[in-house]
Order: sequence, then structure tokens, then C-alpha cells
Amino acid sequence: MRRRPGPDSQATGVLGRTRPGSRSAAGVLGRMGPGFWAAAGWIALVLLAAVLADVLPLARYDETLAGPPRSGPSAAHPFGTDGLGRDVLSRVVHGARVSLGVGVGAVLLGLGIGAPLGILAGYRRRAADTVIMAVNDVAQAFPALVFALAVVAFAGANLRNVLIVLGVLGVPSWVRLVRGATLTYAEREFVLAARVLGARDRRILWREIVPNVAVPAASYAFIGMAVVVVAEGGLAFLGLSVQAPTPTWGGLINEGRTLLETAPHVVLAPSLVMFLTVLSFNLVGDRLRALTDVRESGLEPVREAGAAPLPSAPHEVRAGCLLQAEDLRTHLVTPRGVVRAVDGVSFTLERGRTLAVVGESGSGKSMLIRSILGLLPGSSVRGGHVYLSGDDLTARTPAEMRSVLGPRLGTVFQDPMTALNPVRTIGTQVTEPLRVHLRMGRRQARAEAARLLASVGIPDPERMLRRYPHQLSGGMRQRVTIAMALSCGPDVLFADEPTTALDVTVQDQVLRLLHRLREERDMAMVLVSHDLSLVARWADEVIVMYAGKVVERGPAAEVFARPRMPYTEALLRAAPRLSDPVHHRLSVIPGRPPDLADLPPGCAFQPRCPYAEDRCAREAPPLTGSYACWYPLDEVVVEGADSRGR
Amino acid sequence: MIIVNRLVRLLAVLLVVTFLSYVLLNLLPGDPVTQILGLSATEEARTQLRQDLGLDQPLLVRYLGWLGGLVTGDFGESYITRAPVASALAERLPVTLELLVAAQVIALGLAIPVGVAAARRAGRALDQALTAVSFALLSTPVFVLGVLLILVFAVTWQVVPATGWTPLSLDLGWNLTSVILPAITLGCGQLAVYARLLRTDLIATLQEDYITLARARGLSPRRILWRHALRPSAITLITAVGLNLGALIGGTVIIETLFGLPGVGRLIVDSIFSRDYLTVQGGVVLISVGYVAVNFAVDLVYAAVDPRIRRA
Amino acid sequence: MAGSGSAHLRPRDEVLLRVEDLVVEFPAGRGRTVRAVSGVSFDLARSETLGIVGESGCGKSSAARALVQLPPPRSGSVRLDGLELTALRGEALRRTRRRLQMIFQDPISSLNPRRRVREIVEEGPRVWDLPGDRVDEVLEAVGLDPRAAAVRRPHEFSGGQCQRISIARALVLDPEVVICDEPVSALDVSVQAQILGLLEDLKERYRLTLVFIAHDLAVVKNVSDRIMVMYLGKVCELAPSAELISAPAHPYTRALIASIPGGGPDLPPAGTLISGEPPSPVDPPSGCRFRTRCPRAGARCASEEPQIRQVGEDHWLACHYPTDSR
Repeated sequence: MRRRPGPDSQATGVLGRTRPGSRSAAGVLGRMGPGFWAAAGWIALVLLAAVLADVLPLARYDETLAGPPRSGPSAAHPFGTDGLGRDVLSRVVHGARVSLGVGVGAVLLGLGIGAPLGILAGYRRRAADTVIMAVNDVAQAFPALVFALAVVAFAGANLRNVLIVLGVLGVPSWVRLVRGATLTYAEREFVLAARVLGARDRRILWREIVPNVAVPAASYAFIGMAVVVVAEGGLAFLGLSVQAPTPTWGGLINEGRTLLETAPHVVLAPSLVMFLTVLSFNLVGDRLRALTDVRESGLEPVREAGAAPLPSAPHEVRAGCLLQAEDLRTHLVTPRGVVRAVDGVSFTLERGRTLAVVGESGSGKSMLIRSILGLLPGSSVRGGHVYLSGDDLTARTPAEMRSVLGPRLGTVFQDPMTALNPVRTIGTQVTEPLRVHLRMGRRQARAEAARLLASVGIPDPERMLRRYPHQLSGGMRQRVTIAMALSCGPDVLFADEPTTALDVTVQDQVLRLLHRLREERDMAMVLVSHDLSLVARWADEVIVMYAGKVVERGPAAEVFARPRMPYTEALLRAAPRLSDPVHHRLSVIPGRPPDLADLPPGCAFQPRCPYAEDRCAREAPPLTGSYACWYPLDEVVVEGADSRGR
Repeated sequence: MIIVNRLVRLLAVLLVVTFLSYVLLNLLPGDPVTQILGLSATEEARTQLRQDLGLDQPLLVRYLGWLGGLVTGDFGESYITRAPVASALAERLPVTLELLVAAQVIALGLAIPVGVAAARRAGRALDQALTAVSFALLSTPVFVLGVLLILVFAVTWQVVPATGWTPLSLDLGWNLTSVILPAITLGCGQLAVYARLLRTDLIATLQEDYITLARARGLSPRRILWRHALRPSAITLITAVGLNLGALIGGTVIIETLFGLPGVGRLIVDSIFSRDYLTVQGGVVLISVGYVAVNFAVDLVYAAVDPRIRRA
Repeated sequence: MAGSGSAHLRPRDEVLLRVEDLVVEFPAGRGRTVRAVSGVSFDLARSETLGIVGESGCGKSSAARALVQLPPPRSGSVRLDGLELTALRGEALRRTRRRLQMIFQDPISSLNPRRRVREIVEEGPRVWDLPGDRVDEVLEAVGLDPRAAAVRRPHEFSGGQCQRISIARALVLDPEVVICDEPVSALDVSVQAQILGLLEDLKERYRLTLVFIAHDLAVVKNVSDRIMVMYLGKVCELAPSAELISAPAHPYTRALIASIPGGGPDLPPAGTLISGEPPSPVDPPSGCRFRTRCPRAGARCASEEPQIRQVGEDHWLACHYPTDSR
């Protein structure tokens, strides 16, 4: 046994290296984009103009014949004049006072009443929640607009009444929004942790929940302002907002309607200002919302990015080989730089064999599978070649690839809970590839589907065809996904962590099934897993991946019994085994996997490797023979690792 | 069983809403008697009219009486015209309904393809352009859009009349020309809302494993989008359509005013100005029944769209 | 299995935490009830580590939360050093919280994304109005740089580091018992080894008593003195770790071990020891809850629930037809 890396090296490895993509406050604001800043600038401009309306060098808004009536824009009157010769710019600026005043005031009012109620309903649950949501139900069915109109018509059309009515009408939406946000966070474990610490409710609310609810609330405040400004405009348009002579945007548009044919600018000027303001509120609100939610990616498969096709080394295409990967590379283009997710992987696989791909998260093992299948995100670049019986898959277009996916390559994923479409019956889903690829008729496809389900050990397959995924247990669902993957009789089955989400007793059943099917159908299988003991038990050959590269390969029994690459050895020693004594100290791999966008020089494992020498930091070791290492281990036998042959 | 529960709950909502609105309307300042007789009427005349209209009864008695009538389909009589409220509503309702349905057909008919197209290539040029357009539509108040459309189509090009209404029963062609502009005005804002909702949910759905697996089974993008992804992504959209339909039954006032359409919204606003409470109350019933009916329908649609909801 | 009874509990004065006949249930909608934990008893001596192992739905996490009374169990007793926690409410219960801390499975969701790491760890002393001088020491003890912790938020740290933060937060209050609910199952193998080693170090350094819950028997065995196997809300078997693995008596324990690749070289294949999948805890089987998957089950198993009985020195079992312990 060599020296176990001490606690010191472990500590230094862990000390605060930041995770990529960290965002400081400045970083967040910088990412918002020009649209956000233009919108924020416009809002500031309109606000400023509204506040300073009296001191700005403008004509009085109610001064008739400040210029010739109905004249178009000019130097003296940038927005022209209306039917009575009043300066339209001045009227629009003064109208902003009403619009923005009502907008800000009503949102604050709605927030002031709605947010506490929403937090209460979301945090307290039970009685408070029931009552508040029942009231909310009624409020929604309540003809709000009718009441806004009635109250304003009867109680007087002035700024205060309009503000109060629009504010109160906004309360139900605020309650719903804040309750929803509170609910998501009140269920999180950090709130539970705060309770376990002994924090009182008040402290939990202020310290744990409010800061998290603040972001969606701020976003909604801006969108709410857009809504209120439009609503106020609507009331004014009907003559039910602040009364003349005070100008309002809606009122200006209503007045201008009569001049539509002779002086359209009287309508267009306030319309444009109002549009820009509402647009700006919406934009700011939307960008703030986007802060909490960052998934933007469509469906379109990779465009074989002609931009920078990665070059590939010369190689020989082996005719008799079922699956051959040559120097396969997948680089993802991200804002942080190029992530080398898969970086030069080669392997061959024969019919009737199982190849295991082993590695920790971030090693590129799942990306390797997606790369072979051509199912990559749009921001990726692929290089190298994949041959299926000598036929180059990387030369195919996505449309051409579709005739291989299913009929020749089958796929099973990790989580059976998310692998099936929740709104389609099992029958529809299992028969679909049969009908699309094998052109079977309805009846024939259903009969075949029932046969398939029976072959993966599902009892009463006819009934199963009519059921929905949520009616099945995890193990049954995984059997269904396996049946789907096998439906068109593939030559290679890709199983990406097929049992990781399953209970251990079910895991065994599913792996046994996969193994049996592989033998019966004379397929090849690519089994991706992080679980070394599982791989040792079920695989014929194995490749160990680290930072996108293969660091060791060979027959599974060989690799696990006599690892040559220090990373493989370290992984084996780090995994607890049942045969270890109680309180056995596992050897620790110090530090953490490297940042794929910023790999260390030389061997990627070198910063964590206890045997690293100077050369390791200078030159990356090539994969020669079965391992990629300058200083491979001697024939160290890792005791207990060989568990095959049961 | 669940359906019965749901119906009872919705009926309760209906009761509460009508009661609240009845009370509120009567508590607000303003008096139909003054509205009818003018300020100079004698006290006797006022008392007489008060009795005739039944306004001398206590509020609760009046509400219960009104509610009793409602069950038999009697909405009471207008204070002002003395005509049955029910027939006034019945006369106006088709206009509003036609406007609403036309607007939803336009909005959904465009929003679904637009949302799908944007989600298919999220973040690319087409998506960004569609997003910009929908933001612009979203931010245009209906009265602004209406005025602009009138300016372009009625004033400048004169292809449709600016205002007015031809009933469907009179002439289909003219009916369509009178509904098309208001329906587009109303539909545009909703088109934007629907398209954005659908796009967001579709993008989320497209991240799901079952979509990646569908691709791994060699299915075409078109098939995946329309057959696999659309249905699980439609729940928010359906909710929004339901809420909109419910809210808009009385919310088309501005459009009706702008285009001079004799709809329910206009009737309610006019009745508010003339303190014609029973007509307003009739409108309230119509709106809440509409809300309740639409919500009930939405629940049924949910169950049809997502089998997981059938059990819960 | 699916056994009840408390014959295996040790005398009260020898144990720090004593849980008796714990029942946790919650509504599952439409008037149905999830029977998450149904009459589970166990105890912990001071400085002992008890491992609780079982598949999803066996009630191990529900039991953990019932220990800290979040929420309180439907019935049963949880005694910490003689103090009955289930009888306490409000402020009285809050005062006991310092003594009983918890570490959660998901390192990301158990830390508030909007607070700095130091604030998160300092929260305990602030709540209790204690001086914060332990904070730096604990941060260093779990291998974090106090200076980095002062300015960074959780998302800037990796999963393993976040789990260290969680551990620091729990330890800063100097608790007597720490409940670890699947603390390493979200982590990679190499990081898992780091955290397991860290827990062992800290246990020694701070004289902790641990409840260690996991679904992975090998991980549980690595850190536990005794292991309790649960199935569908019931106790199956309880024994010192080495004995449980080397001489499992309960059919379920045997199946669990045999299902692990390379797990039980002396056991028959798992396929012959267990079939099917766990039934729903909403409608558990009568009698022994494991009988529906058990190849040894007889008529008695459906009608009569097995009680926990002793089968060896400190080896306890709830089964009518166990395999002979070797």
C-alpha cells in the first residue's frame, strides 16, 4: 500500500475554488442585455419628466392656442398641437403623472395587501391557506372591471379612487403569485434546516423566505405596472379616470380619435409614449423573471457546424466491427469558453459483448452516448467518426440519422419516471417506433407491442397497453422503456445509468433482464454507469473516463483486478464495499474533478494524483495500450474487486 | 364524485359573488330614483316610484326576492326602461359572444403555430423575432391598437366600416366585416400572451428525457413537437384561455365602445351611468355564470389533456 | 418482518436517544393515509452510530423527521436523555433543538441560495444568541476556508462542499445527536469517501451520536456500529454491522445483500430471494408487510404480524420463518 493522501492535501483541494458560472450582483446586471437597459432608461426618463413636469420649459398643458390648432410636429411643438391648439408634448408629459402615479401607487397597494396574505397562505398552509384561497376563488369570479367602473362612476373619478380601485383589483393576483413562490420555498430543505436550528417562524420568514420571494415579486411588480397603466388608460378612454382639464394618456387618445383623419399625430403621440412605457415595464419585468429561470434550448438537433469541424486523425475502418468510435470529440461552446465534454474517445465493440463506460459526473460518459447518437445540444461541435458496421454515422444528416435510431441503435435512460411521455398510453408509445420505422399497421403493431412487453417480463401485457405511465411502478416503467428501445430490433443497445434511479432489489432484476435480452438477441450493449461493482459484475469490457478522455480500458475483470491508471485505482479504493470491515477508512481522492472549460496542463488527473511527477503537469499522457499514464501502477491487486463469476 | 364536488363549489362561488355585488351596488352612492325623476321631483313622487320599484324593502329581502326570480329565469325589470332585464341581455349577448369567439379563434389559431415555431428553435433568429413581435403586441393597449387599425383599415384604405354592427341573422358578409376588426383588436393581445405561454412551456417540455428518448427512437422533429410535446405543454395555455374567456364576457367594454358594438359590456356601462342596478346585476350574473361554466369546462379539458389529473 | 415490538430496547439509563413505537402517517388525498412508519422502536447509546437502511418508501426519512418533530409523529415516544420530545410544543420544543441536529440529502436545496455561506453557518449561534467564535473553527474542521465562506454563496461551491457547509451548520451548535438523512447519496464516489471520512473524524472530535440513514448498505456498513433494516414502515432486523452483513437472518436483509453486485458471495442469487417491487405504503399488506415479495412466506405471515425477538447477542429479528443465522 502506498501512502494515503493526508488530510492536509485534502483540505487544500477543497478550499474555496469557485464553481464556474458564479454570478455576483454586478455580473447579473451586466448579463441583462441592452434591451433591459434601454427599457430601464425609458422608464427613468418618463418618470423624471413626470416629476419635473412643472419646471420643464414646456407650454402649459391647458393653454389653448399655444400654437396653431392641429399643426404637426415642429421645433416649438415637438409633438404638434391638438384641436384647441394646446401643446401635445406638454399634455403627454402631464398625463404621465397620472399614468405612472396610478401605476406605481396601485402596484404598491396591491403588493402591500397581497404579499403578506400570500406569504401567510403559503407558509402557514392549512386553515389560513384554505380561507385565503377560497376568497381568491370568489375574487376571480367577481366581475372586476364592472366594479372598477361602478366605483369610479359613483364615488368620483379622481386620482385617489382610480388608484385604490386598481390597487385592490390587483390583490388576488399578488396573493396567488406570492403564495405560489412561498410554497416552493417553504418546502425546501433549507427551511426545514432553519427550524431544526431552532429559528422562530418570524426569523425563518424574514431570513429564509422573503429574500427568495423578492425576485419574482420584483419581476411581477413591473409587469403589474404595465397592467395598471393600461387599465388606467382604459378607464380614461371611457372617461372614467381623472377628469379634464388634467390630461391623461387614455383621455388624450380618446379626444384625438375625432381628429384621426385630419391630425393623426394627436392620437399617435400619446399612443407611442404609452406603448413604449408599457413595453418597457414588461421588458424589465420579463428580464427579472428570467433571472430565476435559465433554460433556453430548442429541439433542433446539431447542425454539423461547418464553422469549425474538428479534424480527425487518420485511422482504419474495421469492416467486421459492429460499432467503432474513432477519436470522437464533442466540444460545447458556452459563455465560459469551450467545454471539452468528450475529447478524443476511441473504442470498438463486437456483437454479443457489453462495453461499460465508467466515470464520475462530468467525466463525459453521458455526453459520449449522445455524441454517438447525434443527440447533442445546439451549441456543440462534434469531431471524429462513429462507424456502425463500417458505415460512417457522423457523415449522416439528422434526417438520415433517424433511420438508424431505433432500428439499429436502441436507448435506455436513467430515470424511468421521466423517460415516458406522461400523457400518452403505454400502447401508443410502444407501438410508435413499430409503425414509423417498420411501417406496421395498427393491429399488427399492437400485437407486436404486447409480445415485446411480455418479453421484458411484464404481466398481462394487453392490459398494460391501455395504461398510462403514472399508473406503473419505477421498475415496470423501466421495463417498458427497455421494450421500446428493443422494439425495432437494434444491433446496439445504449443503457445510460439504467438502474441508478431504482431500488437495489429492482436494480438487480433489471440488469439481469438486460443481460438476458442481450444474449437472446445477440446485440451489443453499451452500459454507462458510475457504479464500479455493477460494471465489474455485468460488463465484458470497460473504458474509464476522466475529464472527457479515456484514461484506462480493457477487459472488465482485468481493469478492476489490476488497475494501472491511478485514477481507476483511486475510484476502486474510494467506493465502500460490503466486504470491508466496519469503520474502514476509504481512501480519498483529494480535490475535485477539473473544470472542463479550464483543464489543467498535462494530465487532467495530475492535480489530484498522489503519484504525479513534473512530467505529468507538462505533457498529457497518450492512451497507449490499456492506460493513459506516465507512471502507471505496478500490478497492484485490489482485494475484493473481482466479483465476477457469481 | 369529483365533478359533483366541483359543481357544488362553483355554485357556492356564484351565490357569494351575486350577493356581494348586489350589496355593493346598493351601497355605492347614487340613486336610480333621482336618475329617473331628476333632482326637482317632489317627495311624494319619489316615494311612489321607490315603492313601484320595490326599493323601500330591506336589502336582504330584495336580494332574496331577486334570487328567487333568478331561479325561474326572471332577472327582474330595468328601473329605467321597465323592460325585462333578461331580454335586454339576451339581445346583447350574441354580439359579445361572437366577438369573443372570433377573437379566441384568431388568437389560438395563430398562437399555437407561432409558439411551436418559436420553441422549436429557441434562441435563434426566428424565435427572437417572434418574441419581439409578441412583446410589442402585449404592450399595446387595446384602445391604441383599435384606433390604429381603424386609422389604417377603415379611414385610409376603407376596406371595412369603422364602427357599427350587422347581426349575423341579417347578412353573413356584412356581419363578418363588422366583427373582423374588433376581433383582431381583441385577439392580438391574447395571441401574444398565448404564444409566450406556449413557447415557455414547450421549451420546458423539450428538455424532458422522454423527448430526448423520442429523438433517440428516430422520430421526426415535426412528430415530436406536435404529437409528443404539445399536449403536456398545454395546461398553462388552457388555464389562460379559460380565465380570459371568463374575464372577457364583461371586459369587452372598451372594444364595444370603440367600434360602436351593441354588446353586453356596453349595456353594463350604460346601466352603471343610469344607476340601473338590476340590469347591472343581471350582467354580473351573466359574467359569473360564464366564469363558472368556463372553469368547469377547463377542468374537463385538463382531464382530457393530462391523464394524471383524472385521478387526483 | 414488518415487525413491531420493543424487546430490543436497552435499559433507559444506558441510552441517549430512545424511540418507542413511532408511528408516522400523512394524508395521501381522497381520505387515504400513507402509513410511512408503523410502530418502529430503536435506541442509541452515547457516541454510537446507528445505521438505518431500506429502499424508497420504507419510512426511513419520515422517521428521521419525526425524531426532530418536524412534523411530530402521529404517536409514539421520542426521548432525548430522558426528555420526552413528543410531549413538547412551541417554545419548550424549540429549546431542545440545539441538542438534535440534522443533515439532509440534497446539498443544493438544503442551503438558502440567497445567503452567504458564513451567514448560513452563523445562523445557529445567532438564533441562540451565542458568540460566533465557534464558526471559524467548525468551518475549518469541515475543510472550508472561513475567508471564502464570508463572501461566497452556496452556488459557488460544488455538491461535496455544500454538504460540508450543511455539516458545519449542524455542528456549530455543538449538538449531542446528529441525524444524517442520506448525506452522501447525491455525491460522486470520490466525494462520498471524503464526506464519510469527514463524518468519522468529526464524530470523534465532537463526541457525536449519529443516526445515519441511507439506501446503500455498503455505505451504511462503513460508518455504523449497528444497523437497522426497515421495510415499508416496519423494522426487519437489527444487529451490529459486521454481524448483520455476515449473518443476515431476515429474508429481506438477505435479498438486499444479494442484490448488491458482488455483495453476498455466500448467498443464492437475489432473483431467488425476492421478487417484484415494494407495495404502496398507502395500502400495506396484512401481517408481515414483506410477505408479498418473500419466497419463504406462509399462511401465518398473512394473518399474524411477527414481533421482534432476539436471535443472537444483540441481534434482533422480526420474522416467522427466518434463515438460521450462522
